[in-house]
Amino acid sequence: MAHLPLQDDIEALADSLSANADALHARLMRAIRKPAPGTPPGLPGISHGVAQALFENEVALRQRANGLYLDAAVLAATGLGGHQQRILDLTVRAKEKIEKIDRVKALVDIAAVLLTLGAAVASGKPEQIIKPLENLKHQIEDM
Amino acid sequence: MKMSRLLLILCLAALLGGCASSTPRTAAVREFAAQSPKLNAYHELTERYCATYQREQPFLSPAADQREKELDARRKDACGDFVKLHSGVQAYMQALGTLAGDEQYDLNDQIKAIGGGIKAWPDTGLLDRHVNAFAGLARLLSRAITRPLQENAVNDMLRDGEQPVREVLDAMRTLLRLYDKSNDNERDIVLGMLETEIPFVDAERNRLLLALAKSQQQSKTAEYRLFGLRYTLARNNLDAIERSHRALASQIPQPK
Repeated sequence: MAHLPLQDDIEALADSLSANADALHARLMRAIRKPAPGTPPGLPGISHGVAQALFENEVALRQRANGLYLDAAVLAATGLGGHQQRILDLTVRAKEKIEKIDRVKALVDIAAVLLTLGAAVASGKPEQIIKPLENLKHQIEDM
Repeated sequence: MKMSRLLLILCLAALLGGCASSTPRTAAVREFAAQSPKLNAYHELTERYCATYQREQPFLSPAADQREKELDARRKDACGDFVKLHSGVQAYMQALGTLAGDEQYDLNDQIKAIGGGIKAWPDTGLLDRHVNAFAGLARLLSRAITRPLQENAVNDMLRDGEQPVREVLDAMRTLLRLYDKSNDNERDIVLGMLETEIPFVDAERNRLLLALAKSQQQSKTAEYRLFGLRYTLARNNLDAIERSHRALASQIPQPK
């Protein structure tokens, strides 16, 4: 939903307001730098009050443009709820898979203990079976 | 007796079913996932956008301040949604990376544990070569069983994630572009105020003011230039993430 025509229109309008503000600023700076007829060089070409009033217009244009950029941004970010939810679901499912894989690891741990147990039995030293047996008990309890 | 022991080992080996598996495919997915920290730039630039008013405020006239306050309230409202846009994608990338992880199916530790367990019992008649044979078999099995399992899980996630992730990345790219444009206007308001006011400062009577204003002009110019570059960098990173996601998704084999 990121490219609604309305969103593009709003952004284009804001772009043109910004461009107008740029033009106004260039014009204003030219007026300030150009000495007015009859004034000594080095002094601004227009009065401070006029400069401030013109700049105020420029600021208002830019604020209007930024308001429209915000509107466009809100439009771009809406309608994403469904997508966000799907991404979230996927992430949860992946975590479940990872957990399942970790249980495979637990299974392998158990197998390792079983193997030790088998070796202890084969060695004919029953007193050494107790530790592997204890380990196995813990492994199963942990699952 | 010896034969039965060997059978025991082989049975367990079949049970274990695998160790390390790293294919070019999973390596590419991990490489993609490793880019997820780059999305932090989106978060940071969103927060900068949300704090626009704070930076502009000292440079605004009372009337402009009033307008900006209203804009700020609307901006703050929207920022709650903007700021968390990337978190879903970031979690998705990280989960995908874990799923494709090198260690995920790496059972070498377990195989070592078994080896250690066996060696601790020198009287059993189990020799090193039995242990080695066991490990080799486990690795062989991993190729047959574990690797397709892992790749399937990764492919499922990529297949289901392709569209929603693309949509959200697209929206993030749009927002970054709009932040950038909004930042340009903020820059022109701040620097424009200095630029239009400095010529009217009496250089003789207000030397200090003039010096401070010019120094502020320099540092603000540098700040805005720097952030301009960061918006571009963040957008390029986002594009790179989207490209590699699309490439990975396009290489998913058709389900059998």
